[in-house]
Amino acid sequence: MGPWFDYTVNGLVVGNIYALLAVGLALIFGVANLINFAHGSVFTVGAYLGWTALHYLHTPLPVTILLVAAGSAVVGVAIERFALRPLNHRSRIAPLLATIGVSLVLDQAVQLIFSPDPRALPSQLPDWRLPIGGVTIGALDLLIAGVGLTSAALLFGFLRFSKLGWAVRATAQDPDAASQMGVDTNRINAVVFAIASALGGVGGLLVGMFYNSIDTTMSFDATLKGMVAMLLGGLGNVPGAIAGGLILGLAESYGIALFGTSYRNLFAFALLILILMVAPNGLFSRRRELPPEPMTGTFVAPSRPLRLPRPALAAIVVVAALFPLVWNQPYVLQTLTNALLMALLAFSLTLVSGTVGQISLGHAGLLAIGGYASGLLALDHGWPFVASVPAAGLSTAILGTLMVLPALRMTGHYVAIATLGVGEIVSLVILNWTGLTRGPMGLSGIPIPAIGPIELDTPRALYWVVLVLVVLLGLLQVRLLSSHLGRTWRAIREDEVAARAYGVEPLRYKAMAFAFGGFGAGIAGAIAAHLYSYINHETFNTQLSILAITVVILGGLGNVLGAVLGAVLLVALPEIFRAAAEYRMLIYGIALLLLIRYRPQGLLGTI
Amino acid sequence: MSFSRRSFLAASLAAGCTALTAVRSRAEEPILVGVSGPLTGPNAQYGAQWKAGFDLALDQINAAGGRPFQYVFEDSQSDPRQSVTIAQKFVNDPRILAELGDFSSPASMAASPIYNRGKLLQLGITNSHPDYTKSGDYTWSNCLSQDDEQPSLANFVIEGLGRKKVAVLHLNTDWGVACRDRFVESAKAAGATIVATEGFQSGERDFRSTLVRIRDAGPDAIVIEAYYADAAVIVRQVHELGLKQVIAGVVSIYSPKFIELAGDDAEGTYTQGYFFPGEQRSEVQAFVTAFRAKYGQDPDWFNATAYDGLIFISRIVNQFGASREAIHEGIAKIKDLPSAVFGKATFDPTSRRVSAPHFVRLVVKDGKFAAWDGQKPKAI
Repeated sequence: MGPWFDYTVNGLVVGNIYALLAVGLALIFGVANLINFAHGSVFTVGAYLGWTALHYLHTPLPVTILLVAAGSAVVGVAIERFALRPLNHRSRIAPLLATIGVSLVLDQAVQLIFSPDPRALPSQLPDWRLPIGGVTIGALDLLIAGVGLTSAALLFGFLRFSKLGWAVRATAQDPDAASQMGVDTNRINAVVFAIASALGGVGGLLVGMFYNSIDTTMSFDATLKGMVAMLLGGLGNVPGAIAGGLILGLAESYGIALFGTSYRNLFAFALLILILMVAPNGLFSRRRELPPEPMTGTFVAPSRPLRLPRPALAAIVVVAALFPLVWNQPYVLQTLTNALLMALLAFSLTLVSGTVGQISLGHAGLLAIGGYASGLLALDHGWPFVASVPAAGLSTAILGTLMVLPALRMTGHYVAIATLGVGEIVSLVILNWTGLTRGPMGLSGIPIPAIGPIELDTPRALYWVVLVLVVLLGLLQVRLLSSHLGRTWRAIREDEVAARAYGVEPLRYKAMAFAFGGFGAGIAGAIAAHLYSYINHETFNTQLSILAITVVILGGLGNVLGAVLGAVLLVALPEIFRAAAEYRMLIYGIALLLLIRYRPQGLLGTI
Repeated sequence: MSFSRRSFLAASLAAGCTALTAVRSRAEEPILVGVSGPLTGPNAQYGAQWKAGFDLALDQINAAGGRPFQYVFEDSQSDPRQSVTIAQKFVNDPRILAELGDFSSPASMAASPIYNRGKLLQLGITNSHPDYTKSGDYTWSNCLSQDDEQPSLANFVIEGLGRKKVAVLHLNTDWGVACRDRFVESAKAAGATIVATEGFQSGERDFRSTLVRIRDAGPDAIVIEAYYADAAVIVRQVHELGLKQVIAGVVSIYSPKFIELAGDDAEGTYTQGYFFPGEQRSEVQAFVTAFRAKYGQDPDWFNATAYDGLIFISRIVNQFGASREAIHEGIAKIKDLPSAVFGKATFDPTSRRVSAPHFVRLVVKDGKFAAWDGQKPKAI
């Protein structure tokens, strides 16, 4: 048998793992209509619970699995009870942000308790291997497949045939109607989180044993791959999630076979985008099986925005401009410059996600395009800073819009996952297109920002330049929001069908929003590139995209001033907690959770 | 101010032991060295290893008396946004006389212009990116660039182990690519053919399909250019697939953790080290004994290079004086620094890196790194 058989077996073995992750995510999505970013963290918690049981109690495998399942279920219930339930019915987007906060807290807690060092998690299964073709399959591979399939079958039966299962499905379809029929929807949500988290935790244990290595950084990759697998099978479709996992595994394996290892993820994310374009309900959903996706606007919680009178705004700008004259402390100014650059990115995101209602989880990709465009123009063609930065803004506007075009036809969570995929693709193309981007070596020696002969080599000079940009672009955006264009954007957000009925072509207006937003984000990326002097494909990563969406939600979706406030808070908070050293990200996560808890519609409210 | 509590305790303990000097030094301001590195985030494990190395170095420096030493570890998460603010903080804090770090290239090299403009020595303890020290006159590194290490590894695999067809599996980062390019160059010059090179992204755990690709290229050796945690996962999967090729790895797989994570599959893996605990050079033995006494385990390269960084600064201060300018001047002039990694180290003022390294050839035997006995493995 040829190597293709081997690639197929390997793909299925890895696909098993993705399937296990996807089942839990699909279950939660199906019921709570929520992408649970904390799922990967529960996976990590499960792995460490298993390690603790093995190391201190020397439990046999079945007992370990039960302990891990029980422990992870408790974590799941706690997440539902303390982070999500208080937010019910107040905003659609706040729970998403809450799961991001929970995942920060869980990851940091595990890291503090167990140290960041990777640990060995020896498998307790007999060490036999079954040769198939040119490769081998071990006992653990079969166990992982067994757990995945059994749990999917059990869940399927549970949802179809048990009374509690009916209640779960009723809650998924219409929580209000379900609770009127006497279903305790809170309890249902708790049950769902318990089951999904137990599965996630056991997944972490088994995968840790599979590689004999667990560490505290597994969470993010696990969430990402699980999410892609779930989407391939159809959002919220439990049996589909298993198939989605296997397909993702196969796609990666064949991608490696055809193009080489460095193309693995590129292949996976390109497949994701392709499937979203061709069959947005996933490969296995009949159209009627899924409840209709929420209208885009439902993400945005209606609230009365906090409006500052004009003199107050002018006063803030004047204070910000004069601040460095009074307190010329480079560390503080550098932090503020970072915050203002983040605000430029947040303007773009708050327009796209807040005003037009297209949640984007790949916005750092725009920074990367801007950074590389300006960096390459300066390094390879000797363009001065003042020319390369606007050029970078323009190229980002064009390239960024072209790339998200396929995603613009989608709505709701699909846009979010598609943009996440686009962000990853940008980074992977930069990594692999060595001829243009220098690949993994990155761009070094990018000249420092300069206007004509004046080098902006002091934190103060750069701060002023970025402040001017923030004020200009912010005013422009506010002006746009109150114009005809702004009203059209909001109309699309509130009800795309109604907007279309009024003769508005949503696609064109969404593209305009991305183009305008891309320009600002590209400029921010370009300035960052000149400020850092070295960038590579990891400088603007998905974690940064997640931070950006956090800034925007925290400030209030669509709210320009909120974007600035959110950026300053989220960039400055980790700096303020610096004295806490290892504990600072934990404190940051808790602060984030509290902010969402008490202001789910954002600090300054949505516009 | 965030002194590590452990280092502070350790320092006070050490000071307590030598009561006389302690009384005198308590009156003096400590010499501060800034550290910018990851304590949280995806690279936190390496920051924790640095700390272990720094704390041991501090114990020894402060036990010797003189003005007390202290380091300020600021968590950058290896994120350029944070490393640049930390750089501003250090540059503008006159008590900080030198800086160590950061960990990743984007974080380290984004901060370099600020250190150079602020005339504060930035000593990269793990920075092997070939352009790292080109940022300016104040950016130095006690980490070798791959120009020294890879020819030696290629020589080991081809001349020493007698392999002719090599597959390279590398981390697809600036570091991994520099490793791969230098290795391929030297291996070809030595007459070997490179049958495959495969780059993987950090965080990847599944190498089965990659290894099928490598298997089908028909190598007689697999060279791993990765850190120990990835390398451990790779050697396990090489054996699960039933491949019998000789496996050799770059210096950074040299860690007790590699053997812990790879288990029995680590057996027979070749690597080279600047040092290994069984080695008899006195600097190495002193470091290894002290490290075992303090932490109850063998040190690895990340511990050793961090330890060296702080010891170097203290030696330079002792000889040239406690000011930023003196340290910058001294690092170019000082000769034969005692080093846990190199034995004796001298900086080359042109490349701003340590010159003339020394390698020991190692193999994993009976669950330990041991000196290679010169036996060529059997052909497969």
